[in-house]
Amino acid sequence: MINDKIKSLLNPAQRQSFVISVTAFFSTLLLLVLGSILALVIYRGTAYFWPEPIYSVAFVSQQDNRATVVYAQIYSEFEEDGKQVRWLRYSHEDNPFGTQILLDEKDTLSVIESANGANITLNDGLSVMGVPVRINGSASAAFSEQHYEVMRKKVDEIDASITDIRTRWLSEIHQKLAELDQLNVARDAPAREKLNDAFHQWQSRIIAMENERDNFSIEVAMADGAVVPIALARIQDIVFPGQLSFVGKIAVTFTKIGQFLSQSPKQANTAGGVFPALFGTVLMVFLMTIIVTPFGVLAAVYLSEYAPNTLLTGVIRVSVANMAGVPSIVYGVFGLGFFVYTMGGNIDALFFSDSLPAPTLGTPGLFWASLTMAMLTLPVVIVATEEGLRQVPTGLRAGSYALGATKAETIIYTVLPIASPGIMTGVILAIARAAGEVAPLMIVGAVKFAPNLPFDGEFPYLHLDRQFMHLGVLIYDGAFHSQTDAKGASMMFATCLLLLLVVLVLNVLAVLLRARLRKRYLTN
Amino acid sequence: MLKLFEHETLNVHNLSDEETAIRVEDLSLSFGQKQVLQNISLSIPKHRITAFIGQSGCGKSTLISSFNRMNELAPDCRYSGKVFINGRDINSRKENLSQLRAQVGMVFQKPNPFPMSIYDNVSYGLKLQGIRVRRFLDDAVEQALKDAALWSEVKDRLFESAHVLSGGQQQRLVIARALALKPDILLLDEPTSALDPLTTLFIEELMAGLKKRCSIIIVTHNMQQAARVSDYTAFLHQGKLIEYTDSDTLFTMPEYKQTEDYITGRYG
Amino acid sequence: MSRQVALNTHISGKFNTELENLRNSVLTMGGEVEQQLVDTLNAIKSNNAGLAEKVILNDLKVNAMEMQIDEECLRIIAKRHPTASDLRLVMMVSKAITDIERMGDEIERIARLVTKNKLPSSEIIKSSMLLIGERVIQMMRGTFDALARQDEHAALEVYDQDNRIDAEYKKLLKYTTSEMQKSTEDMQDWLEVLWALRSLERIGDRCKNICEYVVYLARGTDVRHSPLENMQQKLNQLSS
Repeated sequence: MINDKIKSLLNPAQRQSFVISVTAFFSTLLLLVLGSILALVIYRGTAYFWPEPIYSVAFVSQQDNRATVVYAQIYSEFEEDGKQVRWLRYSHEDNPFGTQILLDEKDTLSVIESANGANITLNDGLSVMGVPVRINGSASAAFSEQHYEVMRKKVDEIDASITDIRTRWLSEIHQKLAELDQLNVARDAPAREKLNDAFHQWQSRIIAMENERDNFSIEVAMADGAVVPIALARIQDIVFPGQLSFVGKIAVTFTKIGQFLSQSPKQANTAGGVFPALFGTVLMVFLMTIIVTPFGVLAAVYLSEYAPNTLLTGVIRVSVANMAGVPSIVYGVFGLGFFVYTMGGNIDALFFSDSLPAPTLGTPGLFWASLTMAMLTLPVVIVATEEGLRQVPTGLRAGSYALGATKAETIIYTVLPIASPGIMTGVILAIARAAGEVAPLMIVGAVKFAPNLPFDGEFPYLHLDRQFMHLGVLIYDGAFHSQTDAKGASMMFATCLLLLLVVLVLNVLAVLLRARLRKRYLTN
Repeated sequence: MLKLFEHETLNVHNLSDEETAIRVEDLSLSFGQKQVLQNISLSIPKHRITAFIGQSGCGKSTLISSFNRMNELAPDCRYSGKVFINGRDINSRKENLSQLRAQVGMVFQKPNPFPMSIYDNVSYGLKLQGIRVRRFLDDAVEQALKDAALWSEVKDRLFESAHVLSGGQQQRLVIARALALKPDILLLDEPTSALDPLTTLFIEELMAGLKKRCSIIIVTHNMQQAARVSDYTAFLHQGKLIEYTDSDTLFTMPEYKQTEDYITGRYG
Repeated sequence: MSRQVALNTHISGKFNTELENLRNSVLTMGGEVEQQLVDTLNAIKSNNAGLAEKVILNDLKVNAMEMQIDEECLRIIAKRHPTASDLRLVMMVSKAITDIERMGDEIERIARLVTKNKLPSSEIIKSSMLLIGERVIQMMRGTFDALARQDEHAALEVYDQDNRIDAEYKKLLKYTTSEMQKSTEDMQDWLEVLWALRSLERIGDRCKNICEYVVYLARGTDVRHSPLENMQQKLNQLSS
């Protein structure tokens, strides 16, 4: 009926362009959605790295009705009930490390961009906005960047010698003392006393040096003139947004990106970097790939090459295809119930019984997470591999059989290499899926904050039992923080951007690999 | 009496054991419900080219596939009767399938080089036989490629992918792959149907040269090809062996009307 | 374009050999027939009945050769499906051997003059006959030579020689009829002589046929049943 109506309204050429328009409209819509997601993530993500200007804001405090002048950064400005509202974070003498406030227009007295205001980031992720005025140290003087550099160098030198003493002398003494303990040497043996003397000597030197180091500090003036001293050793960097040129801002951005990628999260995942999460994500995906590829390929080989063509095989095939549609949280629950508690618990009971009741493998960890993700992505690999195997020309199999190869030899030497691009496709899809999943991971081993990386210099180097951080979990965490901390929200977007990049890089690598394989095993 | 032309012909219906490469006795074969071969008995002479001709589905490919037991790959294949190669029943339980297929090489319609280097293609069968000595493999590969008249074209690029070769070269590579195993018998299942006419002639000339090394059996849809290359020709029709004699006779004065109709292109 | 038939350039080595053998067999057959004529002329010269008998017996061999070559042509057509120059060669061979076999038959008829002892008593007739015979031998040699080399120009030259043979044949015929009128009692014998003379002349005509085949083989143009001038003209057109 509708068809007739369209026919009566439009001539054939119009009908064709109508169909083209309709289909093109939806494609465009899709592109737009994709584009806006990307634009939002890129815009909000990069904002985390861009040095924002510092304003000198005067306002009337709600608490004591007194006019206050502060240095502040404006996160957002918006209209509410026809009035302009600003969302600020400012430093004040009472709380130099930043307070957030929603400021109505009526309370605002003035907002002036400050030319010499600095954003001072500390090593623990906190930051102070203010004007550095003096540097105290071996000689006290007015603040200047050259002077700061000189002092900074001195502090770094002292820090370096402290670490040097710790690693070169103190650790040796510790080791020797431990040896003596093992040999049951008496408490008052001369060797032990000599060592103890040396230890105390070094220790007092370190304390002296630390005192010397802590003498170096800068005085930061707040907007109302109050001065806050900050130890130089605590400072990570000082940025003057008002004095930076565009190029300078870009340079600062890149430094910040570098810090973001290499540092650990600070201040409950609202500042600092994401290195452990990035590392955890990549390691988990890597382990998952190692687990899922052989399982998936072998299962697919059995299903497509050996399994008799019966109803049961058909049922198995359909089940495998449907496994891909099971909600991922179900896999998470299964992983927790079966892998962690049942398998892990039993392994603990069998092999690590001396450390019970503290669980070793019977607790969520990297290995169980990888295993769960492998299960989650297994159907993808199986289906893609089966498809790849089906595309191997029968002539090649026949050729291999005709040369005296058995079925297994034919599969290993001929069929699998040709199916490898198909297998790679499956693995790519599996990687993309695994890198983006969050829900099951939170149950089986990913945590908001892990004190140690799952990989370090300690035997056995790769700690499969450890919990790990994950970019997705960090984003999830950040989404909760965003209600209270604007900077944390911005870090969440930066993490999103990074996660997108990780997935993109992994995919591009896999696609390149597949292209190479396809070229190599191209069949006419 | 003066003889101007020498044409040697054996009586294929009365071959001695030394002259016989393959002897088929009363072979019947079916796939599921479909009877493909019916009571076929024939002897194929050694060091000659024997062609099987007939319409599509007449069972000629199935017949030569039963010489290296490739039919077994179909799960619903049933057969009765016997096939002897060098006096050995190849369907017996004692038969080593891998060795049989090394002894009876097979080349298919479409060139099917494996997706590996030319060298690996030719040494594939030898490696399956457990031969790993590099020097031996090198020699065998060179010899096989020379036998297949491909050596001069590929000797500088042995380790390149086999897919860079042209269709005719690929088919010769596949022949070399079979020859590397020093087969007694070479089965060619429409080896030139995917090739252009000139390349086809080169492959045919290669076959004529290979006669000295092994007995060649070729299945072809192309009657002219059968006439050109074969010494003996068998005509199959609907799973039955209609006529089997030397090619000169078959293509000049066939005995049976069905053969006559087929080779003259009449509706039979 | 030169249409010289290159027999040995096929991809199939066996086909090369077969065509080469076929051509050689025709030349062998031609040589055989040529030897027959030489023997016959010698038999006439020396009135050697034994030699003539051998010629008559030998004709069976020529006949057998024709059959074998014909069979081979059939075999090649059936199995090799020759085309273009190969096809012309096979067809030419098939036709030429018919002519060569006929030459053999004519020679046999001449040889029977000797075995039946019906040689003309006139020395003039005999020597003229031998003279024409020599010319025919020349022509045969030229023909087979042209055939061997597939040389259409040589073939045309040979073709030309037949006119002289015809002229001499007419002259000898006139002389013989006048002699016949002198001795009318053994008319039967004279008829034999006339037949033999005619046979000799017919051999020349057969050579002409073969020459035409050579032109056809080399040029792909059918020059049969056209006067010599036209032939020459056609050839010139083709060569230019």
